[in-house]
Amino acid sequence: MLAAAAVGILVVMALALVRAFRGPSICDRILAVNMIGTKTVLLIAVYGFLSGRPDFLDIAITYALINFVGVIAALKFIERIAASPPPTRPEEL
Amino acid sequence: MNDDIVLTVIGKLLIPFILLFALYVQFHGDFGPGGGFQAGVLFAAGIILYALTNGTAAAMRLIPPGLLAPLAALGVLLYGGVGVATMLLGRHFLNYSVLAQDAVHGQHYGILLIELGVGITVAAVMLLIFFAFTSRED
Repeated sequence: MLAAAAVGILVVMALALVRAFRGPSICDRILAVNMIGTKTVLLIAVYGFLSGRPDFLDIAITYALINFVGVIAALKFIERIAASPPPTRPEEL
Repeated sequence: MNDDIVLTVIGKLLIPFILLFALYVQFHGDFGPGGGFQAGVLFAAGIILYALTNGTAAAMRLIPPGLLAPLAALGVLLYGGVGVATMLLGRHFLNYSVLAQDAVHGQHYGILLIELGVGITVAAVMLLIFFAFTSRED
């Protein structure tokens, strides 16, 4: 049961990874990365119960908090790049 | 910076819990996963979230950057001080067993003080790095 849940989460992570690589816009990629982070939290929790160590939940909470802060920081960064005129950025984001 | 009302409110809701969880990781580190480094990073992440939602200037008013380098040194001093204290009490460097009447209590106090030093230093250095990056205007 838990193993099936873990496999399902891994499949969803693979799909989100495809979206992160192929996503046409930057928002698609950020959303996909955020989703992978959320699935990682779930995967850590499921693996903790699978291996009989529920204190993995602490690590899952930590990952969720850091992931949230990281996504906010990435969004702020993108916003600042979009607001300022591009000095020399040939590659399209 | 002030027009993202959702972000500001969510940050205001979440920051106390991040800081509380950092303290939990700090003081629970000898029973479960955690310890000084992780707690310091989490504490710094809470302050960084405050800086992202309310602006770096507000965060610098909350935590003056001039205070961070002394705090980073204070953590190392606490770590080394515990070691030297155990040496002065007649044992090896960082042999906590002499810090209290019986060895188990001494080891408990010792690991708490060491982890506190690690946590203070890591949080201060993380915030120093963050402030150094964000205050660099080009």
